[in-house]
Amino acid sequence: MTLTLTLRAEPPARVLAPALTPEELCGLNGLSVAVLGLRCGGETVAVGDLFEVSGAGSEAKAVVLEGDLRRFDGIGAGLSSGEIEVRGDVGAWAGTAMSGGLLRILGSAGARLGAAYPGARVGMTGGEIVVTGDAGEEAGAGLRRGLIAVGAGAGAGAGLRMLAGTVIALGGIGPEAGLGNRRGSLVSGRAVELLPAYALATRFQPPALRLQLLRVRELGLTVDDALLHGTWARWSGDVTELARGEILIFDEGEGAP
Amino acid sequence: MTGYTLGATQVADTFAEAFPMRFARLLITAATDAWAYEAARSATGFATSVIGCKCEAAIERRLESGDTPDGRPGVSVLLFAMDREGVGHRVLDRVGQCVMTCPTTACFDGLPEGERTVGLGKSLRYFGDGFQASKVIAGQRFWRIPVMEGEFLVSDSVGVGRGVGGGNLVIGAAGDEAALASAQAAAEAMRGEGIALPFPGGIVRSGSKVGALTSKSMPASTNHQMAPTLRAQVDDTLVPDGVGAMFEIVIDGASEEAVREAMRRGLHAAAAAGATHISAANFGGKLGEFHFPLDELRDPP
Repeated sequence: MTLTLTLRAEPPARVLAPALTPEELCGLNGLSVAVLGLRCGGETVAVGDLFEVSGAGSEAKAVVLEGDLRRFDGIGAGLSSGEIEVRGDVGAWAGTAMSGGLLRILGSAGARLGAAYPGARVGMTGGEIVVTGDAGEEAGAGLRRGLIAVGAGAGAGAGLRMLAGTVIALGGIGPEAGLGNRRGSLVSGRAVELLPAYALATRFQPPALRLQLLRVRELGLTVDDALLHGTWARWSGDVTELARGEILIFDEGEGAP
Repeated sequence: MTGYTLGATQVADTFAEAFPMRFARLLITAATDAWAYEAARSATGFATSVIGCKCEAAIERRLESGDTPDGRPGVSVLLFAMDREGVGHRVLDRVGQCVMTCPTTACFDGLPEGERTVGLGKSLRYFGDGFQASKVIAGQRFWRIPVMEGEFLVSDSVGVGRGVGGGNLVIGAAGDEAALASAQAAAEAMRGEGIALPFPGGIVRSGSKVGALTSKSMPASTNHQMAPTLRAQVDDTLVPDGVGAMFEIVIDGASEEAVREAMRRGLHAAAAAGATHISAANFGGKLGEFHFPLDELRDPP
């Protein structure tokens, strides 16, 4: 049975939750999981005090978190394999510096989704993050490799100083996206106001994006057929960096959903 | 001639002799089925015999848009060579010259379960002259190579599997039209998953023997024993009485079982289409690892 942690009540302070990954919990029974400590404000609180624990850390390496986890930061941070499914909203820093595995959030995420730790140049280096709702500011900051897919909108500053990898926001990326982007791909399903550091290259049907959108659909996001078959504008930038990065914007004039 | 009969068809008591080969499966997709087919036809051209063409390749089947990695119509192609390195060289040449050049195409690995791999996009990417970009999607790396139309998307590497090359049937009838009709019916029945018929239309009219009577340097020459026009002038003719034309179908397959079942389908289809004699080519059983006795194909598919 999959290890499931169901939130009992909103915690009194913000909780750091990077320990709740399949790697950390693999092979532990429910009791062992319940006595693990999490930082909550200035104190350490047992997992069992915050969550109702059912199931056990299985070999399938999957963990389910349920509840309104907006006060939980760093969920899935450092994940390298396995899968975390969150049924509810999460706080900031979800999936920070991930290197593999799948973080699926059936809700919205706070700021710095899949980003780099403060001061670090490199953030996520692999794996996939899927968010059905919105993502906060600076999603994918410092991204080096991997996929971040947001079903609704991504906040301002998405892909800040990203090195490579892909950030997709089907509902559109926010302003100031891709500042300092070197080789990364930002994908916006809606029109977006771009930084002057980006220049329009062309409108085309990107074959790799089609593959990525099909993958995103497979991971549970609703991807309209118009996005798969439509035309995208390719903007190249950041010209103050390598200018090898891109922002792909869906051409709503042509068969918008 | 001993053996057995299927209706009016005499099936010889002999066997086909085949060899271990390595193969790759390419999934070529395009904006339309017609362009995918065009690329596949080009990529499988001049690939009839590994002796003369360095590889054997053919279209395996057409793919609906729901069966391809990028959701577009496609064609799956099988390419066989004697070893993994040979597969690698030929795949790289053919995808580079025949698929990348073809409008709207993309090229994917159709054998992800292959025990080993050969590089494809990881070498072709250099055509991008530094402007190429890679994406890792669902754990697989792809290369985006900028081209005049837009981008060519290609898998970083493709799987290589162990296959069987050289399964065959020899189909004869009284006249050339009847023999060809029977061979065509057989080829049609044999095509399917895991099967490549590398010759034009799947059919060979110039079956060969190893070496030559008149030269020590030629690797192969005409199979004079099966040439009807030589029946009266050679001592060792294998053309049965009443046969005026013979065709060979060479089968390369993803497995011994795939080849055997394709031969079974072909043998029964040829018999039903009017072949009077069905035989197979071998080298006395000493060269090939795989033997396919026609006697084992007596039961219909």
